[in-house]
Amino acid sequence: MTTKKLIGALAFAAASMLGSAAWADNYEIDGQHAWVTFTVKHGIYGIAHGQFDAVKGTIALDKADVSKSSVKAELDVGSVHTAFDQRDSDLKGPDFFNAAEFPTISFESTKVEKVDDKTGKVTGNLTISGVAKEVTLDVKLLNEAPAPWDATLTKAAFSATGKISTADFPMAKAADGFGLGPDVDIVIDLEAIKK
Amino acid sequence: MSAFLGNPMVTTAALPLVLGIALALLSRFVVPASSPVLTLLWAAPLLFFYWDTLGPPVVPPVAASQKLIYLAFAGIIIGLLPARVLGSRTSNLLAVATLVAAFLWLGWRRMASGSLDLPMIATVVVGLLTIIGAARLISTQAAPSPSAEEPFLAPAAVLALSLSGAIVSVLGASIVTGQLLGSLAALTGGWCLVQYVATLHGRAAGGWSKGVEFLLLYAAATVLIQVALLAPKANPAALILSSLPPTVAVLMRGRLQGLLPGMRPLRPPIAGLLIAIPAMLAMLAAIVWAPHGAALGFS
Repeated sequence: MTTKKLIGALAFAAASMLGSAAWADNYEIDGQHAWVTFTVKHGIYGIAHGQFDAVKGTIALDKADVSKSSVKAELDVGSVHTAFDQRDSDLKGPDFFNAAEFPTISFESTKVEKVDDKTGKVTGNLTISGVAKEVTLDVKLLNEAPAPWDATLTKAAFSATGKISTADFPMAKAADGFGLGPDVDIVIDLEAIKK
Repeated sequence: MSAFLGNPMVTTAALPLVLGIALALLSRFVVPASSPVLTLLWAAPLLFFYWDTLGPPVVPPVAASQKLIYLAFAGIIIGLLPARVLGSRTSNLLAVATLVAAFLWLGWRRMASGSLDLPMIATVVVGLLTIIGAARLISTQAAPSPSAEEPFLAPAAVLALSLSGAIVSVLGASIVTGQLLGSLAALTGGWCLVQYVATLHGRAAGGWSKGVEFLLLYAAATVLIQVALLAPKANPAALILSSLPPTVAVLMRGRLQGLLPGMRPLRPPIAGLLIAIPAMLAMLAAIVWAPHGAALGFS
């Protein structure tokens, strides 16, 4: 192989490897403007609400080929709150999210599908208490624009919904022991800063 | 019927109490106390309570709460070892090794986080005290002519540790392990009740075999260790006090007979009360310093 061909082959390989990243816009989740909330049936009565305050992660959005996009996010279990301290302690305990043993909940996408220009489906592994389950979120791109007060700061806003079951994670007593769920509806609203 | 069994007070208190009474009656009239069959009969309700509170075994176990039922199985297998093994001096080593292994298996994720804060120091102290107390109690040889209170020492230790552990656990935001420890306490309490009635009628109380002793001490100790490791709001002082009853039970052996020679029927409850003193203090500490008040149950 001549030196020219070798350089050509290497350049092609490098371009192929960098391909998806080269065309994707990269964002970092803005933890100050991220609301990861959930609702769950509370016994025979109403609907309980909760939220995780500490959220971080990255989004790679390839607008030309959405299937090459990806999402990685992490929630701090210690930041869960439900507007009542004792219940928050219970949720951080080993019966539910088990913060001492598993301090974070993570999500990593495995597939992104385009539905239309503004909506898509993001499938990935949601790991709670060390157990990963596949979850699909319906995601909507709400807006992307430079900040009115700073043209160098571009943010994108996303909204996502999904559903999980407590029975899929090591909190199997949540439904038949504590009357919570088993279905949990997830609503996520977040802004992400373009890098 | 399912609503009846679904009531946590039934499965945590009433049912295990009745089963403890039934096991005591079986050991008095049907199955010899030293028989491995009796160990298996104890193992059955024990596993039922693990299953009922923690759910069925998960393969592979990931969270510590999923590992507890496997530790119960290990306790059953060891409890079925021949009496000459469990009654020998090596039982001390066996108890220490299996409890240390349980501590490390349950707690490695917690320990890997590397933070040596007050709860972690309390957890290590609880682990050490529980392991030392349980191992010493298991390895203690039965006296050739046991005193009236001797058959009650190990059960009183399990009862006191489990009951205080249950309260500390629930108030510390670990409700399921609280229920499990409550079941262990009631199961043991049922057994103590029947044996004490026999003592009051002038008969000798039947003691636990070394197999049953190992099974129940190992179960109570491992669940308490799990509470210490993972219950986010468990009071550290209350946890440490909860781990002391087995050590007190070891210290009680042979002492009351000399102090209260003429009070045979009273010696078992006196021994039980003395063994329960740290447990009572633990419950008091847990209630007084409960982070959200002494409200039991999920909110």
